[in-house]
Amino acid sequence: MTVPAAPGPAPAAAPGPVLACRQWADRRADVDPLTGTVTSDPRSAAASPADDAALECALRMATAWGTHVVAVTVGPPGSEAVLREALAAGAERAVRVDAPEPGDAASVAAAIAGVAGMVGARAVLCGDMGWGRGSGAVPALVAAVLDARQALGLVDLATDPEQPGVVTGWRRLDGGRRQHLRAAAPFVASVEGGVALLRRAPLAGVLGAGQATIEVVAPAGTCPVPSWTPSSTGPGRPRTHVVDGPDPDDPVRRRVELLTGLTAERPARRVVRAEPVDAAHQLIAALADWGEWS
Amino acid sequence: MSAPGSLTASDNAASSDAARFDAVVVGAGPAGSAAALVLARRGHRVCLLERGPYPGSKNMYGGVVYPRILDELLPGWWEEAPVQRWVTRRATMMLTADQALTVDFRSEAWGQPPYNGATALRPDFDAWLAAKAVDAGALLVTSTTATGLLRDGPGGTVGGVTTDRPGGDLRARVVVACDGVNSFLAKEAGLYGKPDPANYTLGAKEVLALPAATIEDRFALGPGQGADFEIIGCTGDIAGGGFLYTNRDSLAVGVVLHLPALAAAGVRPEQLIAGLKAHPAVAPLVAGGELVEYSAHLIPEGGYDMMPTLTGPGMLVAGDAAAMCLAAGIWLEGVNFAIGSGMAAGESAAEALERGDVSEGGLSGYERRLRDGFVLQDHRRLRHAPHLLLSDRVQRRYPQLACDIVEDLFTVTNPEPKPGIGRLVRRRVASSGVRLRHLAADSWRALRTFG
Ligand SMILES: Cc1cc2nc3c(=O)[nH]c(=O)nc-3n(C[C@H](O)[C@H](O)[C@H](O)COP(=O)(O)OP(=O)(O)OC[C@H]3O[C@@H](n4cnc5c(N)ncnc54)[C@H](O)[C@@H]3O)c2cc1C
Repeated sequence: MTVPAAPGPAPAAAPGPVLACRQWADRRADVDPLTGTVTSDPRSAAASPADDAALECALRMATAWGTHVVAVTVGPPGSEAVLREALAAGAERAVRVDAPEPGDAASVAAAIAGVAGMVGARAVLCGDMGWGRGSGAVPALVAAVLDARQALGLVDLATDPEQPGVVTGWRRLDGGRRQHLRAAAPFVASVEGGVALLRRAPLAGVLGAGQATIEVVAPAGTCPVPSWTPSSTGPGRPRTHVVDGPDPDDPVRRRVELLTGLTAERPARRVVRAEPVDAAHQLIAALADWGEWS
Repeated sequence: MSAPGSLTASDNAASSDAARFDAVVVGAGPAGSAAALVLARRGHRVCLLERGPYPGSKNMYGGVVYPRILDELLPGWWEEAPVQRWVTRRATMMLTADQALTVDFRSEAWGQPPYNGATALRPDFDAWLAAKAVDAGALLVTSTTATGLLRDGPGGTVGGVTTDRPGGDLRARVVVACDGVNSFLAKEAGLYGKPDPANYTLGAKEVLALPAATIEDRFALGPGQGADFEIIGCTGDIAGGGFLYTNRDSLAVGVVLHLPALAAAGVRPEQLIAGLKAHPAVAPLVAGGELVEYSAHLIPEGGYDMMPTLTGPGMLVAGDAAAMCLAAGIWLEGVNFAIGSGMAAGESAAEALERGDVSEGGLSGYERRLRDGFVLQDHRRLRHAPHLLLSDRVQRRYPQLACDIVEDLFTVTNPEPKPGIGRLVRRRVASSGVRLRHLAADSWRALRTFG
């Protein structure tokens, strides 16, 4: 299925620099199970694989379109580490929106949109989620503030040097389906972590990034969050799979047996006591017997 | 359009001045950071290269540092060093299956400046020391591994290192290899002979979380005070030892195992740690601790006799890379020896750079410095300690004998009268199977080694 990211691709336009968003968060934050207090250590903070993939896509896009990448993060001074990584990998400019505390999606989106305006970026790339698996709303909110097209949650992204400012990609839908998107700048795209592997920064880039200047700007306030009403609050119900039925020529009893699995042979229940290693071996052997392990 | 990750001319670090240094120090452990700090303070352009994402991220050890070596380099270090607890209690335990004999010493003086030893976590301590080198002007490059030596100077002089980054050659007039035990750089430079596994032990440890107050109660410590237990007789048939240290709100408990014996025994280190934690003398101390970390690392236990040639043209080796960890039973000191040798390497490299002579001869001041200081003096004096301590008698027979003698001594067997101590010792020695001539020979060796 191919659909244009609303409201439809405009003719290719000069995209300006590509803005790559990078969230700085602790990969191994400790959550106290009793109090819920989160303790984090800046040394284990990094950009998520999805943000890394977005940076790689941005770098490829900029190369294809003959432009450059600006990296942005919203965070405290420590978050400049993810910007230096971007500079080392090939971004030309880096901007940190100063925010001592992690903000909510609306304020982060407003900050990113502000930087997009400041640097003249009409193509914005984000990861589809950070380490914290937050609301995932930032890219959509950035698009709302910039009045840009959205191509979110992409599992594949392609750019064409002949069409600067236009991206195509595939998005994952429920039920194992895919949607093909095509969007022209201004757009906000978010990608999953598997879309691209961030290149290993060359040594010269790393040496240069250590000394590079990072622009620091004040946060831009917040953006209006569209109000919405959930259409359903029940559990997700995946679509039923169509399974081939029994042969209609089989006797009724056989068909009922096949459909219900009533007479299918079930493994006998066994209770065993064993040392952990032995127990693991027994589990594996049982799974193999049931055809669940090969 | 260039392919992702491909190099452009400007990416080629080797061709740019940015990648030319007076010195490249490989490894931001204690040795490397000390070397980089000294070199940077003397005004040299230094690159401190670290494969981990930050200094200390890859490093593990038992847990006690003896940082008095920093008195001169970083006066007042104790006011800012990231310390967990100041060690005021040191105990040496001898264990048998169900006995324990402990020599327990405490000193309040060790809890005050200038202090003696401290428990510290390596990600904190190494990052702190590396930050000192950066403050002094060294350029720290992380997540980058040195993969080999550049040898294009006259007579194969080392002229830098290659790295695992695209365009990743770093040129330098001197390379200081502080890349830890099993140094690939020192081996590549031909400074080591054939490696012998018997010179290595494997250290494995668990970190067990416990509230600070519980630790202080169990180990009878005041707030901020720490304990250091070295343990012998806890590694079954494998030569080695154990340790138990107190951090602020965790304990480090582990074993150090002779590598060939470990391989032959087919036992996993964590089984031995489990055995140590279950010992009646240790179990109450660690009870209820939640396992938060498990790690293992090699130790260059062989000391003086396994050290490589310390200098080559354009290159110095320091710290564990040069087998400078002192593992002599009651002493397991590597960090202070690494800092001491790193400082000496930094000073000697700086001198050589200033004289414009980085040949092997020009760098020979390094070995002289080490011989004049504690690093090689202690190592030379204790060079026979590893052999002695890893012998079967010291590992198993003597702990059993000592525990049995003490048990006899304190067992009241009335109505029989107390036996004379001499008779009791003779009886136990005779029944232990330990020959008197071995006991005498080992005592003499111990006296010569430690005396
Ligand atoms: C189980 C155990 C317990 C110990 N207990 C104690 C103790 O209680 N007290 C004590 O003082 N000592 C102890 N030691 C010894 C001590 O840890 C070492 O002697 C000390 O860490 C040596 O410091 P170093 O700087 O030479 O090497 P390391 O600390 O090993 O540092 C080497 C650094 O080089 C980096 N590196 C390696 N290869 C490369 C490369 N190719 N490119 C870039 N970077 C590289 C590593 O990531 C690392 O950061 C213990 C060791 C072990 C294993």
